Amino acid sequence: MLDGRLSLLTPEGVSLALVPAGPARRALAWAIDFVIWLIALFVFAIALRFAIGSGGLNEGIFLVGLFVSYWGYPVLCEVYFGGRTLGKRWLGLEVVRADGLPVGWRESATRNLLLAADFLPLCYAAGLVSMLTDPQFRRLGDLVAGTLVVYSAKPRPRQAALDAAPMPLPFPLDPEQQRALIDLIERAERLPLSRRLELADLAEPLTGLRGEASLERLRAYAAGLTR
Amino acid sequence: MKQAQFEAQHAALWDEVAVLVKGRQGDPRRLPALYRQLCQSLALARQRGYSPLLTEHLHGLVLAAHRRLYGTQPERPLTLRRWLGVELPRRVREEWRLLLLACIAFWGVALAVGFLVWYQPHWAYSWMDWQQLNEYRQMYDPGHDRVGRSGTGDDVKMFGFYIWNNVSICFRTFAGGLFGGVPALVSLVYNGMHGGVVAAWLSRDASTATVFWSFVVTHSSFEITGLILSGVAGMRLGLSLIRPGRFGRRHSLEAASRRMFPVLVGAALLTVLAAFFEGFWSAAGAIPPAAKFTVGGLCWALVIGFFAFAGRRGRHAA
Repeated sequence: MLDGRLSLLTPEGVSLALVPAGPARRALAWAIDFVIWLIALFVFAIALRFAIGSGGLNEGIFLVGLFVSYWGYPVLCEVYFGGRTLGKRWLGLEVVRADGLPVGWRESATRNLLLAADFLPLCYAAGLVSMLTDPQFRRLGDLVAGTLVVYSAKPRPRQAALDAAPMPLPFPLDPEQQRALIDLIERAERLPLSRRLELADLAEPLTGLRGEASLERLRAYAAGLTR
Repeated sequence: MKQAQFEAQHAALWDEVAVLVKGRQGDPRRLPALYRQLCQSLALARQRGYSPLLTEHLHGLVLAAHRRLYGTQPERPLTLRRWLGVELPRRVREEWRLLLLACIAFWGVALAVGFLVWYQPHWAYSWMDWQQLNEYRQMYDPGHDRVGRSGTGDDVKMFGFYIWNNVSICFRTFAGGLFGGVPALVSLVYNGMHGGVVAAWLSRDASTATVFWSFVVTHSSFEITGLILSGVAGMRLGLSLIRPGRFGRRHSLEAASRRMFPVLVGAALLTVLAAFFEGFWSAAGAIPPAAKFTVGGLCWALVIGFFAFAGRRGRHAA
């Protein structure tokens, strides 16, 4: 199949699929983080102003806070919260090592320090070029640290077994076709009605029916396959 | 076997794994065996063409269990101590060629520019304009209540500024090294040049010379060493890209970053330490210059001694 999936073979002999995330989505996650950072700094500054008033102490603590949040926020998030900053969490991304395992201190610190190199010459141009030329969309920091940014698997609720009366198929289907049939029935609830009927019409060679009746027949076949 | 039968047969196993990977309940010692059974479930589901929803669910479970099982880090409470006490000085000594280059880039340029300005003061204007130089002179004027600062800088404020500014310079020097090591070298040369001009300019005036040197002597031992070390780490990254040896370029980069990480941590800690001294010790007018020179000399001896002798005994890590 031609898709962006990266397949990792585990010692147990099953392959795990990871989907690397592209530059646009990662830039959006970065922008969200940046806005959150600005808001947090603003709140921090106001809180400091109320707590100790203006003056050298205030500015000093603010600058230390600026330092810790600027360099430390992504690292702490990635190490303690499953490879996700707030922006990445929002967009369903996460940072993992190249072998699919969670990142540690060294990887996370390296990739985030090298953001400074990705920024050069301006506006993350080096990082963008690196992402566009790398098959797994890695920026320079990712290449050096050996990390990836992937889509985190969202658990979809599993459905109860089909309630239709099972029927045998009129002629055998190969496993790929069977899977397509079951996938269609499982997804049918989330499709608009017109699209559902359109797809049911396409199955006319199999069911010999059209429209709602064809869909019902497909459901019966799927029940026959799964039960 | 029909899918519904298969699901009914293995549901208990899948549910147990789902609880275990969350890591709150259950007996984690059962995870390895359950994980292998789960892998078998996934392989069967894929091979028999069961529904994508089921395969996807099992895939998610296997992924989570895989991370839980293989991603567990052994407890290593002494890692940081070993990094700083043993690995850091060893790695720095191993990179003595780059260290020499970095020292020449910083100290060599600083000395050359410094002597030029000392004998031909008008050259100072080709690097800095007179307003800046004047500002520096006022900062180190003996009549100034807090030396080394423009205006009425408060200790904590300046500490915050040094942390934010100097450690960030250190990190950027490292990151810049990725591009063939040149930006790291440029950063070292630039900082050396700047320091050379200011030091020579202020030394020419007897009134500011003592104030200036007593101000910088202590914290410079940590700050300049930190900068040079981050330059060394950055240049090593760049060189590993230019001359990867028997590795591919990406692997060579990864290996270099792994090797240089303790050096970078050391550089960052040294710079933070320097910020403490610069904020709370160097500028204190109550401490006589003689005391500052003594402590400064001790700090320099400590830093040089540490990198020359620390970590020589003991097991060599692979």
